[in-house]
Amino acid sequence: MTVRTSPTPISFFAPSADNWKLAIFVGVIATLLATLALPAAAAFWVVGVAAALIAAAFVVNAYRRRYYGGLLVAPAIAVLFVMNIFPLLWSLGLSFFAYQSNQQSIRFVGLQNYVKVLTNDLAAEANWYALINTAMFVVFTVSAQMIVGFLLAMLFAKQFPLRRYLLILVLTPMMLSVVASGVFFTYYYDPTFGILSYVMNNLTGQQFILMDNKVGAVAGIVFADAWMWSPFVMLLVLAGLVSVPKYLYEAAAIDRVSAWRQFWTITFPYIRGLLMLALLFRTIEAFKLADLVILLTKGGNDTMTISYHLIRIANEQNKTSEGAAISYVMLFMVIVLTNLYLYLANRRSQGT
Amino acid sequence: MTVMTKMKAFATAAGFAATLMVGGASMASAEEVTLTMAVPDWPPTRIMKKFFDEQYKPKSGNTVKLDVDFIPWPDFYTRVNASLTSGEQKYNFIVSDSQWLGAFVEGGYFRKINDLLEADPDFMATFKSIHPNPLNAYSTYPHKSENYYGFPQFPDVLVNFARADILCHEEEQKNFQAKYGKKLPCTGEELDAMTWDDFRNVGEFFMRKKGDMLAGKPAEDDFYGIAYQAGKGYDFSSMQINGFIWQMGGNTWDETQAPKGQAEGVVNSPEAVKALEKYLDMIQFMPPVAKTGTMDIFKSDELFREGKVAMNIDWIGLGEASLDPKTSKVSDKLVFGQMPGTMGPDGKMIRWSNIGGQPFVLTTWTTDAQIKEAVEFVKWWLSPEIQHQFAAGGGQSAIKSVYEDPKYVTYRPWNRAWAPQLDWQKDVWHVPQFFELLTQQQDQFDLAITGKQDAKTTLDNIAKFQQNLLKEAGLIE
Repeated sequence: MTVRTSPTPISFFAPSADNWKLAIFVGVIATLLATLALPAAAAFWVVGVAAALIAAAFVVNAYRRRYYGGLLVAPAIAVLFVMNIFPLLWSLGLSFFAYQSNQQSIRFVGLQNYVKVLTNDLAAEANWYALINTAMFVVFTVSAQMIVGFLLAMLFAKQFPLRRYLLILVLTPMMLSVVASGVFFTYYYDPTFGILSYVMNNLTGQQFILMDNKVGAVAGIVFADAWMWSPFVMLLVLAGLVSVPKYLYEAAAIDRVSAWRQFWTITFPYIRGLLMLALLFRTIEAFKLADLVILLTKGGNDTMTISYHLIRIANEQNKTSEGAAISYVMLFMVIVLTNLYLYLANRRSQGT
Repeated sequence: MTVMTKMKAFATAAGFAATLMVGGASMASAEEVTLTMAVPDWPPTRIMKKFFDEQYKPKSGNTVKLDVDFIPWPDFYTRVNASLTSGEQKYNFIVSDSQWLGAFVEGGYFRKINDLLEADPDFMATFKSIHPNPLNAYSTYPHKSENYYGFPQFPDVLVNFARADILCHEEEQKNFQAKYGKKLPCTGEELDAMTWDDFRNVGEFFMRKKGDMLAGKPAEDDFYGIAYQAGKGYDFSSMQINGFIWQMGGNTWDETQAPKGQAEGVVNSPEAVKALEKYLDMIQFMPPVAKTGTMDIFKSDELFREGKVAMNIDWIGLGEASLDPKTSKVSDKLVFGQMPGTMGPDGKMIRWSNIGGQPFVLTTWTTDAQIKEAVEFVKWWLSPEIQHQFAAGGGQSAIKSVYEDPKYVTYRPWNRAWAPQLDWQKDVWHVPQFFELLTQQQDQFDLAITGKQDAKTTLDNIAKFQQNLLKEAGLIE
């Protein structure tokens, strides 16, 4: 086989199949023309073809210049683009239009949806209210899960009889479907059929109804959420705990270091990263809390979260673009929070 | 591949395609037509599918298949809505709650059927034999206009489910008479004659703690007088409260009066406030779950079947389970009557109630060949013979000749309440803004039910919201 030199760079105007710069240029022009001149349904396909053309030019280019690494990841990138990035951009675009999925008309309104969800005296009030509730749930559910998960991990890091079986039992809630857990907890809390009210009625002699006020309803949801997701935190922390080399503890024991100090200087540095990871995952998830609220309270007793509110607006009421605007405000908040958190976490780890 | 082989391959493919087309055309005399249908998964639709598979013989000689997607109730709206708005055009028939008509007609998904009715006098005659109240609720958009869309699949009304064993007990009868100076209703006719005040008395009378005497025995558990829907989800309080408001002289926003009809001043009229107060007042006599805002139609039904309440107002659609010993602890102790009413000034009972049940509708992308078969299928479905079988199997019929047949009341114990209640059915909001109106109203009613705000504030908030929304939509001038 003769060694081929890679083809010389082609000029911008050469109509070659691997001229990706020209392809992008043509694609962008076609997209612009199509969106301006054609009806939306036809423009959609023109834009699609243009995107495919650009993608094809990249592939041919990679093949001719033998960027095989790039070629190998191309399918993954294509899937990511089609399934993930494209819908994301599409919904971002929709948030600038007045569009309802059950109506055929669409109209450009600029930032009006954002103005509405942030300042309109009816819509914005409901959004802020749901957002504050969500923040409350984030704080309560995440701290409950972190504490319980951490304590469980400390427990299971030790050896004791039946540990393996108990571990499986403790992990079960995480594997159950949320709907099953939700239905289970509605019965658990039910004042007529539920065991909680049964026990409390017998203890106090009074009718006990957990979910008829905000404190009770929030406590009920937080408990159910912690029940399901503490094992997840536990798993992560446990992985950190078992990775601590035994000899460190042995050396500490020889030096007669107190248990408290052993924890902070030996154990904690090993699990800190994983704790942070658990915190990050759970915070993002808690921000999206909707399923348990729907199952347990339907948002009653001041438990409406922003996610459930969003489901009602975007799915039930078909206010697609308003829903998209809320989603992007939410996304923005989550990104800011996550970055703030990562920044703080990094600063602390550099400080020690 | 050379140019020649390419040409050959092309020719072969073209020939193959042509054969297929010719073959297809020659088969046209006995076509296979598939009608796809989205339905909620429960007995009335299962029965429909069963009857179709076992009995339906299309007159055209074609092979007609009914391909039914049984979707669980809690997901039903979401799935149907997603299917329609995504444009996948999957279903020819869709079972729809009557209030969805506006949204889906305006979206261009539901097909107007006036042309089909006019083209077929038989079909028209069958269609017109449906009681006018369900016909208006299930088929017309704008409401009560001459534009028709749907056919009854399972028509439904609210009825009173009651415990004969407790209500007819001698001791209870005596004590009730002594306390209220009235006879404790025990038979179907006596239930029919009940007003909401009587219902309240029953509620108050039957509040028993565990160990108290109940129908001659100590109660095994706490027992409650009454139940009706008071939940935050979907329409699980509006459907009951609307009846209260209409019976007591108030009104909801009337879509047939658009754009002249107002929401403010109507929705929160003093009569409506009084009606809501009456509704809220009875919650204290219900199982405690009502105070959490999750007492929906399924919960009150479950409480009734578990033997925790004396009377429950619920849809007939949920009734079957209460008669089945496998799902009901009280299956052999029941009596049914009409939902309580309000005594008018002229001494006649006013019984307005919000209609339940669902129509099924045709979609706009259904082809001519499918429509032909669909019409035949609907005619068959609405024919008295099949409607009788449906009712005997646990369904209900809104066809006049069927429910007026003396046999009809023998099918199920609640059927005696069916025909008289039909005359009193109304419906709300077939407009595209239905879901926004409903969620806001349900949220507000929930605040009232859980004791966070009074009836007046609740209805004021609702009226203000509706006025605002409907004005923006051009439905109020």
